[in-house]
Amino acid sequence: MSTLKQLASKFLGHDSVFARRTAGGIQPPSFKEHSLRSRIMSTPIPPQLTIPIGAESSGEITRLVDIGEQVLKYQKLAVISLSAKGRSDVPVHAPTSGVITSIENSIVADHSQQQQLCINLTVDGHDKALPLEPHTNHAQLSSADLVSLIRDAGVIGMGGAGFPAADKLRACSVLPIEFLIINAAECEPYISADEALLRERANRVVLGAEILKRASAAQRCLIAIEDTKPDAIAAIKQALQNEASHQPCCELVLVPSKYPAGSEKQLIQCVTGIEIATGQHPTEHGIVMHNVGTAYAAYEAIIEGKPCISRFTTLCGQALKTPKNFEVLIGTAAGFLFELCGIEANKKQKSIVGGSLMGSELGNDKAATCKTTNCLIAASSNELQAPKEAQACIRCGYCADACPSKLLPQQLLAFSKTLDTTQLLEHGLLDCIECGACDYVCPSQIPLVSTYKQSKKFIKTRRHSLEYSDYWQQRFQFRQYRVKKEKDQALSRKLNAPLQSMQAAEPAPKGQNDEADFISKEQASRDIAAAVARVKARRNEKNK
Amino acid sequence: MSALKAGAPFQHSGRNITQLMQTLMYALLPGIFASLWYFGFGILINIAIAITFAVLAEAAMLRLRNRDIRSHLGDKSALVTALLFAIAIPPGSPWWLVALGIVFAIVIAKHLYGGLGQNPFNPAMCGYAMLLLAFPLEMTGWHIPFEVITEPQPTDNLGIPILTVEREFLSPLSWGGFKQALLLAFPFAASGVIDISDFVDGLAMATPLIEFKMAGKSALLTARESGASLFARESETAWEIINISYLLGGLFLLYKRIISWHIPLAIIATVFVLAALFYAPGSVAIYGTPYLHLFGSATMIGAFFIATDPVSAATTRPGKLVYGIIIGVSIYSIRVWGSYLDSIAFAVLFGNFCAPVLDQYCRPRIFGHGLRSKSRPNEAPVKRE
Repeated sequence: MSTLKQLASKFLGHDSVFARRTAGGIQPPSFKEHSLRSRIMSTPIPPQLTIPIGAESSGEITRLVDIGEQVLKYQKLAVISLSAKGRSDVPVHAPTSGVITSIENSIVADHSQQQQLCINLTVDGHDKALPLEPHTNHAQLSSADLVSLIRDAGVIGMGGAGFPAADKLRACSVLPIEFLIINAAECEPYISADEALLRERANRVVLGAEILKRASAAQRCLIAIEDTKPDAIAAIKQALQNEASHQPCCELVLVPSKYPAGSEKQLIQCVTGIEIATGQHPTEHGIVMHNVGTAYAAYEAIIEGKPCISRFTTLCGQALKTPKNFEVLIGTAAGFLFELCGIEANKKQKSIVGGSLMGSELGNDKAATCKTTNCLIAASSNELQAPKEAQACIRCGYCADACPSKLLPQQLLAFSKTLDTTQLLEHGLLDCIECGACDYVCPSQIPLVSTYKQSKKFIKTRRHSLEYSDYWQQRFQFRQYRVKKEKDQALSRKLNAPLQSMQAAEPAPKGQNDEADFISKEQASRDIAAAVARVKARRNEKNK
Repeated sequence: MSALKAGAPFQHSGRNITQLMQTLMYALLPGIFASLWYFGFGILINIAIAITFAVLAEAAMLRLRNRDIRSHLGDKSALVTALLFAIAIPPGSPWWLVALGIVFAIVIAKHLYGGLGQNPFNPAMCGYAMLLLAFPLEMTGWHIPFEVITEPQPTDNLGIPILTVEREFLSPLSWGGFKQALLLAFPFAASGVIDISDFVDGLAMATPLIEFKMAGKSALLTARESGASLFARESETAWEIINISYLLGGLFLLYKRIISWHIPLAIIATVFVLAALFYAPGSVAIYGTPYLHLFGSATMIGAFFIATDPVSAATTRPGKLVYGIIIGVSIYSIRVWGSYLDSIAFAVLFGNFCAPVLDQYCRPRIFGHGLRSKSRPNEAPVKRE
């Protein structure tokens, strides 16, 4: 690999980065063109916002406002403390001005579909804002300052994982970083938010990338984008040219269009040729990856001084008359956005949050968008329907060809049926990234990913219960041991009590007091040696 | 399985088993036409009988197993089994032979193991092997229609008839040829009308490979001396055309990505390499040329259509290669050193035996596993400004 790299750099110049082949992958129809027909639109301010703070299980939530309180736009509403997990706190800001009406648990439009604690804000419509503190010249700020500003703005990974951006950047201060990769390979069908963002606001994204590069002290910044997005590519090239007056801050890398090209480890391999081992973190290889949306949020946080109160979300699906990309205020209900796109309610079969391959079905259109809601699909009855019935697996192996992790889904399926934990782990079940490529190609239409999720859950609970039972077994055994010891001691005390009074008078019988015997022997031999020495010394004196 | 709530991926490629099976059947067509052209209607009669009994057996078994008959018959896997089986059986076989074989294949080799996707052995080849063991005589002759001319046929010392000019061949596609094929398949219809023993007895045209095997060594040696080269055509028969037709069908399957290249390539390469290794003109002529091994018998259909049956084959990529090599070695060994005339069925069944072990031990390296190189910080530290 290194020789290849050398060869490549010889022919293409030192700085060139080229895309490499990655395993597996599929090329499904993307349906992105529908939502890319119109420009990004900022949503009108909805009458009610439900601002998610976080699941109570994920960390300690500190509320900074009370029910009935009047809040201003950009005001800090709450902080979720993730310090128990070794992460920094994530603040949540008010997207507009209004009155807090209630704080309660409700469903949020994200992948987990968990209930989160949400602040209900009744909007007053004045949109009165706190003054912002822009830092137009980010070059004056140190990397630590940048990180803390980004943290205070509440920026998290906008790609979907929602990992606090500041933590990722802080991890970079420990290890030297060679590559910052801006992930613009939005490979999942239906989602076009990143592409739209790049087409229209590439300058700001590039600035944001520069900020992230400085904050993570990376040597090089690569913007990785799929080669099927010509408009976005042209926009970035233009932005880089504008920027490049002094020196180019970023390089553009075109990656082959296939799903899941945008998966973190796959994209790293594609762009740098480095395969991140299971359990390793990219920073260990000097690589850190951020989403395009995160770069944009970083730009807003620093240059405009604006906290993260909105994100870009794709609205699409055949039930919508005008699918498009929105700049959505955090907390807007999914149904409100559907209405804006002219939903035909009788046509809609189901709502999906996320893309068509990794998204999940949205139970309720009242669910609020959060910082990771990248796509909302209002699917009609003739798209994205689950197949009626799965047929038998014929072991054709198409799934293995599609798997980006080079797993054998057909084997995992067989072992999942028998819940053969050893074989499942041996065959790398835990390396499954649940991308759904295997499901997509399966001619028997078997719900493979759902099966693997269940198996993973099974293994987890089983491990947990094993650990649990081990723990209690140990506790129990220790107790038995302790009880027995106490009993024995009590017994021996009882038996020895009369003996001891006798022993006080008599010398201990031989054999029982080996130690005492041993000590006296040692003492005796030492006495003898001393005596011999004394005699020798006397003789020496005499001889003299 | 169906009880699972279908979650994450909502999009599907639209590919299904029925489509796969249909494409497979289309790919068989050129070979079937070639057989039809050279051997007459026997193959169509075989196919008709096999399909009828396969569908009946499949429906009966689905009924017994309380499965929905319509949806399971709809996957067309039974039709593919029937086609592959019918092609393997010599044309001109009696109907009961075909029926017995296909019923065995569907009922015992497929459904008693749990139906589609569960059978450890290729059903068509199980049926074929069973017939070959039970009815060796009926299974080795390939009938070519002809008009009988009165004199009894002279035979050579092995009991193989020597085709003489007295025997006038009918065009296989003529009415007479069709009638003969029908009479051979349904002998009871002929009782009293014609004495079919006239054209049943030894009226065979075995595959060139079999002719080659049966022929005397001295004859072969003389043929060799008269200037046969390593890759020369061994005998001018229909078989090479038929094999080329199946090869084309197989390439079509590869192009359509129904099968992967691993198994066919491994088999063909192995047979070719072994045949080339053991072939030495003049000395041990009995081994046959590589050309004869590839195009003189059922190698192509075996490599592209039978060994690639996904259910019973190895399923990992490295496993498929080893599986193909095992089958290739078996094909060649049984042909050259074994006592059976042709060997695709036994070789594939032997490969099926090995498949589960191959799947367990020949696995691709999982992404992110088994990497030797350590992470970068252990190497020279990256320069920082």
